[in-house]
Formats: sequence, structure tokens, C-alpha cells
Amino acid sequence: MAVQYWRIKDRYYRLIGSKCRECGAEFFPPVYRCRRCGSGGIEDKEMPKKGEIMTYTQLHQPLPGFEAQAPFYLAVVKLDNGARVLSQVVDSHEESVRTGARVRATVRRAKVDGDSGQIFYGYKFVVEN
Amino acid sequence: MPRSKVYVSSAGFTKIGDQWGKSLLDLAVEAARGALKGTSKVKPQQIFVGNMFSAMGARQEHLGALLASALGLAGVPSVKVESACSSGGSAFNIAYSLVRSGVLDSALVVGVEKMRDLEPEEVSLALAMAESAEYTQFVGASFAALNGLLARYYMEQLDVSREDLSAIPVIDHANAVMAGHAQFRKAITSDVVSRSGMVADPLRLFDCAPVGDGAAAVLLVNDKTASRSKRKMAEVLGGRIVTNEFSFYEREDMLDFNATREAFVGAMAQAGLSPQKLSFAEIHDAFSVVGALALEAMGFSRRGCGSKDAKEGKYSEGSDLPINTFGGLKARGHPVGATGVYQVAEAYLQLTDQAGKNQVEDADFGITHSIGGVDTTSVVHVFGKAS
Repeated sequence: MAVQYWRIKDRYYRLIGSKCRECGAEFFPPVYRCRRCGSGGIEDKEMPKKGEIMTYTQLHQPLPGFEAQAPFYLAVVKLDNGARVLSQVVDSHEESVRTGARVRATVRRAKVDGDSGQIFYGYKFVVEN
Repeated sequence: MPRSKVYVSSAGFTKIGDQWGKSLLDLAVEAARGALKGTSKVKPQQIFVGNMFSAMGARQEHLGALLASALGLAGVPSVKVESACSSGGSAFNIAYSLVRSGVLDSALVVGVEKMRDLEPEEVSLALAMAESAEYTQFVGASFAALNGLLARYYMEQLDVSREDLSAIPVIDHANAVMAGHAQFRKAITSDVVSRSGMVADPLRLFDCAPVGDGAAAVLLVNDKTASRSKRKMAEVLGGRIVTNEFSFYEREDMLDFNATREAFVGAMAQAGLSPQKLSFAEIHDAFSVVGALALEAMGFSRRGCGSKDAKEGKYSEGSDLPINTFGGLKARGHPVGATGVYQVAEAYLQLTDQAGKNQVEDADFGITHSIGGVDTTSVVHVFGKAS
């Protein structure tokens, strides 16, 4: 887990995704070829930090390592560049987590490894007031 | 090159549920023996084992050789096939393709999964491995959570109610009452679904297929080998595996199960059959919303109407197109890597008039439909009475 995480920590901290050099489409998570035009000309691109909730859920039965956070919100966020991110939504009033709500990215503790105690950080979104 | 005709000539399976006393291999052997019983003249030329997470569920890999050896078939080529929850369907498709093309005269397909030895959160992790480790598991999204996101989007975008969504689980439970191998043989009402515990809002416990152990097996033969078998047979008329953009939320239209559509259209074209000819459909409904979207993708229901049509009886027993005739994933059960093979076994029973109290009258043609991920891998097969 540690190496798998370390390798792409910039993507988790700064939302580094992909941009297509041909058609300009942007994606997160990063892609190996453009999902819109099929081009292989792809470069790293930092994503905008704002977007809106397309759909959300409140998860009651968490994966190992997330027990202390449950229940928590997950959402598909459509960023302002069109890229879609799957993320937790935190630090927001329950009534405010709704389809169409404006959200912004922040960095939070993502999970704690049960065996090593290592703490992993990554993006989560909060609803904008 | 001329294609061989391909038949399912026998089937075997275990009861699904808490099989505390039986190991992964015990279950696989029991199902395989059921399929091989009385077929001593037909030795399978290759074995395909459908399984998703034996490494995590039983700390066991190398299932192909393990099973062949246990069956006294050491020497026979035998491999595991994995495509998440559609592993059994994929294993069957590869076996079917090789028999159809003439590479093999016969093949044994076994699907097996041992889920109940794991703690619930370990099962969640094992299932989440069907999705991206780096961008889905990392944010804490279980497989149920992804389907919860999908279910809310479906309900909000297409005006589907909680009561609508409950209709397919109700059908599954009604059909499982008389199915001896089903995990839950109890009829339920819509209220039971809509009042069950919350799993991933809006999905509740009874929207979700249960966790269970089980194994199923079928023997495939070509026309040459079939003449040596005195068994009742069903013919495999077509089959297709289709993959999709990996994560459902990356797709332009999240509510379009286009892998399911293409697998269905492709398999039906191969069979040369129009959808009106189908007598039943075994569909993949690991979650209520998935069953609804599958029915829509295959064109049986209009967009947004899969659950509504189910509520109005379009897919119930005695209708023109009954679904999940032994209880489907929700009530027969969903030992993930085995499920696709259970579906084939059930289609075989229907088309050979061996379905007992679950028999669909005048069943001439049927399909099986299996999904891995959220319509990420979709597998459809078409079956008919042996001609």
C-alpha cells in the first residue's frame, strides 16, 4: 500500500489529472489515451478545485481502514473543466450535501493503515457556503 | 471454417448460503461431480474455473490444476478465468467459444466462490477490488457505495421512486420460494425492501444481493460428442463478452449500460433470434438498480421504466418474459464468481423441462446475463432447446 500510494501522491494532494493535447479534454483520474478523441497525446494537468455534485450516497458499511469515518458521504463531482472525480464529501451540513451543490477540493486524512499505522492523505470535497 | 453446434449436456450445483462445513475445493468438487455424474463416456478436454477472489477468500490460487487433480483429471488443461462478478459467465464464454470453433470437443465449466469465511468488511474489500484500487478503494468507496451513487442518479434523473426500485427484489424472492438451491426461500413485500437497513443511501439491504458460498458446473459438448450422451440437452446459440469504460462515473451517460446492450445484441445476432422469441431471462441484479438498467439496456423496458415495468408485472412468473426464474442474484444468491454458471445451469434446467416447480411453460429460448463491476464487463448467452 505504501509504495502504491507514494507513487501517485501528487495526484492525491493536488488533483493532478490528464489533458489531451489534441482536443483539450481533461480527465481525473489520469488516462493513457483521450476518452473523447482517442488521441495518445496526453499530458499531466492540475485539475480545477471546484465543481458540483452529480450524485451522492451516504455509506454505512465502510471498507477496512475507514471504520472511524462511517457513515460518510461519497459523491461524483463534476469539476468545472468537465472532469469527474469520485470523492468523499466532508465538513458539510447534512442538508447541504445534495445533487447540484457547489463543492471545492481540500486535503484531508484519507485513511490509516491498520497494520503499520501509516496515515495517508488525499483529496476530499466540502460544500461551499 | 464450419462451426460446431454446442450443447450444455448436464449441470451440477450446491445450495447457496452458509457452507461452513465445506471448503472452496469441497464446493467446486461437489458441483463438478454433479455435472459429470453419468457422463463417463465424455471426458472434458479442458476445464475452466470461474472465480473472483479465492486468494482473499481462501488464500488459494491455482484453482485450475487444484480442481483437475481433485477430480482425478490431472493431465487435463485447467485454468481459472477472472472478470470480477462475471467470472463464471466469462469462463463459460471462453469454453463455449473453443467448443464452437472446433478447438475442443467438450469442456467442463465450474464457477465457485467462498465468501462467508471472511468478515463482512473483508468481503467489502474483496468486492471493491473489481474497481480501481487507486481512485475508488482509496477514497473509501465500497462496491455498494458505487451502486448507491448510481441508484440515486437513476432515481433523480429519471423520476424513479423507492417503491419502483423495490419491485425486482420482490420478484426474485417470489421465484426463489420453490428453488431448492436458493439462499433465501422466502417471499417478501415491497415494504420489506424499503424498510430494510440502509447500506449506501438510497440502497438498502434488500436492494443488495446477499453474501454466500456456492459452486455450479456445466458440461459443454459439441454435436460429435453429444451423440455419445443420452442426456437431455440445451443448445448454446450465441454468446458475447463486452467491456466498458472502466469506472461508471467516467461514462458520458452513467445510466446507459452499453456493455450489456452490445453483449445482448451480439449474442442474439449470433443466435439469429429476435427478442420476442425469448421465454425467460436470467439477468444480473446484484443491486436492484442494476437489474432495472440491464432490462432497459437490452430493450425490454424503455429508459427509466425497468423497475416500473417490474412493478406492473411485466417480468413476473407467468408473464411473457419472466426474469430470474430461480430467484436471481437477490434470492437464489450471488457467490460472485459462481453466479454466471448458476445462471447457465438454470437455463439448462428450463430448456430441458427439469425446472420442477420453477418450470417456465413452453420455454423455447432464454438468455443469461452476467456483469462484472458496474456494467464494466458484461456477458450474455442465448440458449434454446436442443434441435
